Amino acid sequence: MRTRTTALAAITALALAGCSSGTGDSATSAPDDAATTEVEALSGALEFMTGTSIDSELYLAYEDITEAFESANPDVSIELVPSSTDHEGEVKTRLASGNTPDLWMTHGWSLLRYSEFLMPLTDELWAKDVNPALDPAMRDGDGAIYALPLDVDVAGLLYNADVLASVGVTPEDIRTWEDFTAACDEITAAGKTAIYTAGKDRWPTGLFVDWIAPGAYDEAALGTQADGTLVPESYQVALDKVAQFRDSGYFNPDYTSATSDDISLALAQGDTGFSFLMNFVAVTAYTYNPDANVGFMPIPSASGGDPYLVVGEKNAIGISSTTESPDAARAYLAFLAQPDNGSVLAKASGSAPGLTTATSDLGALQASHDAWVGKVPSVPYFDRVYMPNGAWDTIVSTTEGVLTNQMSVSDAMAKVATDFDSLTAQAQS
Amino acid sequence: MTLSRRAWGGVVGVFLVGMAAVQLAPFYVALTVSTKPRTDLSSRWLPPMDGIYWDNFARAIERGQMLTAVKNSVIVTLLATILVVVLGALAAYPLARRRTRLNKLVFLAFLGSLMIPPLSVLVPIYTLMNRIDGVNTYWGIVAIMVSGQLPLAIFLYASFIQTIPISLEEAALVDGANRFQIFFRIVLPLLKPVTATVVILAGVFIWNDYQMSLYMLTTSDMRTIAPAIGAFFSQQSSNLGAAAAASLIGLAPILVAYLFLQRYFMKGMIAGAEKG
Amino acid sequence: MSINLFYVPALLVFVALTVYPLISGFQMSFTNWDGYSAARSFVGLENYARLLQDTTFRQVLANTVVYGVGSTLIQQVLGLALALALDRPMRGRGVLRAIVYLPVLVSPVIMGTMYYLLLQYNNGALNDLVGLVGAGPFAWLSSANGSVAIIVLVNSLQFVGLSMIIYLAGLQSIPEMYYEAASLDGARGRQLFAHITLPLLRPAIATSVILNLIGGLKLFDIIKVLTNGGPGYSTNSVSTFIGVTYFDAQSAGYASAMGIVLFVMIMATTLALNGLLNRRRLDS
Repeated sequence: MRTRTTALAAITALALAGCSSGTGDSATSAPDDAATTEVEALSGALEFMTGTSIDSELYLAYEDITEAFESANPDVSIELVPSSTDHEGEVKTRLASGNTPDLWMTHGWSLLRYSEFLMPLTDELWAKDVNPALDPAMRDGDGAIYALPLDVDVAGLLYNADVLASVGVTPEDIRTWEDFTAACDEITAAGKTAIYTAGKDRWPTGLFVDWIAPGAYDEAALGTQADGTLVPESYQVALDKVAQFRDSGYFNPDYTSATSDDISLALAQGDTGFSFLMNFVAVTAYTYNPDANVGFMPIPSASGGDPYLVVGEKNAIGISSTTESPDAARAYLAFLAQPDNGSVLAKASGSAPGLTTATSDLGALQASHDAWVGKVPSVPYFDRVYMPNGAWDTIVSTTEGVLTNQMSVSDAMAKVATDFDSLTAQAQS
Repeated sequence: MTLSRRAWGGVVGVFLVGMAAVQLAPFYVALTVSTKPRTDLSSRWLPPMDGIYWDNFARAIERGQMLTAVKNSVIVTLLATILVVVLGALAAYPLARRRTRLNKLVFLAFLGSLMIPPLSVLVPIYTLMNRIDGVNTYWGIVAIMVSGQLPLAIFLYASFIQTIPISLEEAALVDGANRFQIFFRIVLPLLKPVTATVVILAGVFIWNDYQMSLYMLTTSDMRTIAPAIGAFFSQQSSNLGAAAAASLIGLAPILVAYLFLQRYFMKGMIAGAEKG
Repeated sequence: MSINLFYVPALLVFVALTVYPLISGFQMSFTNWDGYSAARSFVGLENYARLLQDTTFRQVLANTVVYGVGSTLIQQVLGLALALALDRPMRGRGVLRAIVYLPVLVSPVIMGTMYYLLLQYNNGALNDLVGLVGAGPFAWLSSANGSVAIIVLVNSLQFVGLSMIIYLAGLQSIPEMYYEAASLDGARGRQLFAHITLPLLRPAIATSVILNLIGGLKLFDIIKVLTNGGPGYSTNSVSTFIGVTYFDAQSAGYASAMGIVLFVMIMATTLALNGLLNRRRLDS
């Protein structure tokens, strides 16, 4: 089996953190300590809401590594919980009722939404190895961190290189939004969908704002908005672009009923040129068609700056501040953070690793990664840093309103402004 | 209209065959999707050309633990359905026979609760269940299922009981039987047909419950069928083939049960509808 | 001892798992709770005031009525037609009944997913079919009204078997001699149907309508799987909209207010219906 060997290797490397009653202090300095020092064996039952489906690569990797951890710590048992499509609703229900899981995947919100329920992990040994690109999203003003990132979500514009090539465009040609729309016009003229997006999943539409808005704000405007005042003229740039794309007929006809899975399929089959989505969609595309030619590229800046990538928290795991077995939970995270395990997990998630000590094989996306990451600027997910908590639904519904022409840009802006203010007030109350 | 008998028969035949085709189409498509690998993007009307791809079924059983899920669904459905029948029949009797102001009110309250959207009471129910350690237990989900199906059962039983001539009970009363004896010896045996209806209606609803079970049963050894199938979907990746295979596995037991109970179901509905 | 004791166990379950959560939701509806954190403050009637002005909620309410009434109508017509066709002895009758009933046995979330395999734009089975005659491909679920109609249709097809069975049962309970007597008086097909079948089916109609109405008004899973409420909010029912408001928009207090309003409206409808049915019972 694929990951068996890793799991075995993991057991031998276990001394690192597994047996040192969780703090892991002595572990790295002297791996032999575990054998000689009499430490209290870890015990406890942990429940881990993984936020991933039961037969995903990531879930399989969790299972193997968790098994290795359990056999090294016989008194610890870990229940892995797969998610349905509503991981967020499930987590919130648990939090609301007080039946908090011991560990859960924080889906981008370890800091802003869940930190009040999470144990600070700043002093864990792995914390210093967290990829600095994640700092704006995952660390608060004091540098505290609340979750272990297994991967980094690096994202740009997804494209099908074959479709672009068929109209004589290469990704490197696209530096501005004018370049982008010119390419889209060609693709549309060739009878294909220029931009594939998915309305049924509700979240992909919001990514237009996350992708476009950062380039429309300058530093001062970002500061203003982070302090709780909306800068409407900058925000509106994103909606104007969506309206322009809509009027130019760039979007897929099945927008409403499409899911992110349909985007993967369209990319795999060469039905579309671009998509404003995360890389896992490209990873899924390769499961449909291993020979597809799909990659990602930086996003043009609306204010004429350099194209950039969006970087954020993806699969990150936090520990409940009220868990009954904090030591076991921390030891488990330390175990996941070990370089071999971290590498296995990052590879399974199809993304770059969240810790600098791990490596990942991005498969077909490696080329795009090597071409851009570290070479172009990166920005955090706009909504998580510059919009108030809870604004996501507003972002999605207003962008969708514009995209489907059910809302004018000014109506959409009015709703964004109202909700921005009421959510900001709610957060401050 | 002057359609001849023969032509009319033809129209009816086309209608029936058409309806059957429409009703079977989704199942057929689920079958072809479940027997093809993910990379097979051929039309969903086509059967798998390269032989049946069993991997989806293997995944459903191994990864999705569908057999455990079927066992859990059987246990939960049996227990909950029995309780619905017992509590429902008991409750309906006084509500149907003693139409006091209080009892009318109680009956209406039950009726009104038929239409509460489950999501609006999810968090309070979950909080309560958590406080009394009912999460991830059979009794917890059974209690919730019973509360969900009781109103309909009470409604069906009460309508049925109202149609039973009261003279039998009055005669027994004259003979010195008390109310309890009357219910258990005389009324209860008469309820058989409507019980078949309640069993099948409530049983199917409980077997198929998704929303509440999803939140209440999270561990792999407790999950019932619908949430077990749901575990194949997440926001980032969905395995439609395995989900379709799991759905077909989950359908098999209830289909067999239905085919066995079909005859009683019809009888129950006749009795219920005749008097309802 | 009163026989009212008989309903005490049911009442206990009901109070614990229906009344208590409702009261809890009622309290929540006066707060601005976000649905998960510890913080919440009392905002009085603010949520209800907001509800009055919320045009989306009005649309969602209208959708809910369309889902309830639309599905109920289709199921009565189609269910009765199927029952009439499958009442007379013919070959394959049992198999046909079982096929029509089959979808009732399936969880709506699964049924919806199966229909999604048919209606999907890319690789959807329906588009393959219309492609054979050179049409399409169509984005079946792209317009608000079209999607509402498809959702109604899918829900109706799933549960039409239930209506069919109820009507079959009703038909079989009509004594044959009524028809014989009427035939002797010279009544013919359509007259027999209008003057004997339909009136005597009244109880069956009542049962079927009530069951379908409940199902349609509570519709949730099929909407989730087919459109997830989109485009925009245009295909949400109150149930799915409560979910969106509660979890996605993090406005649990507001969502609770919606739940309470819906409950009151349903209670009022039930009372009205009950009054109507009672009067009819007196009439007959």
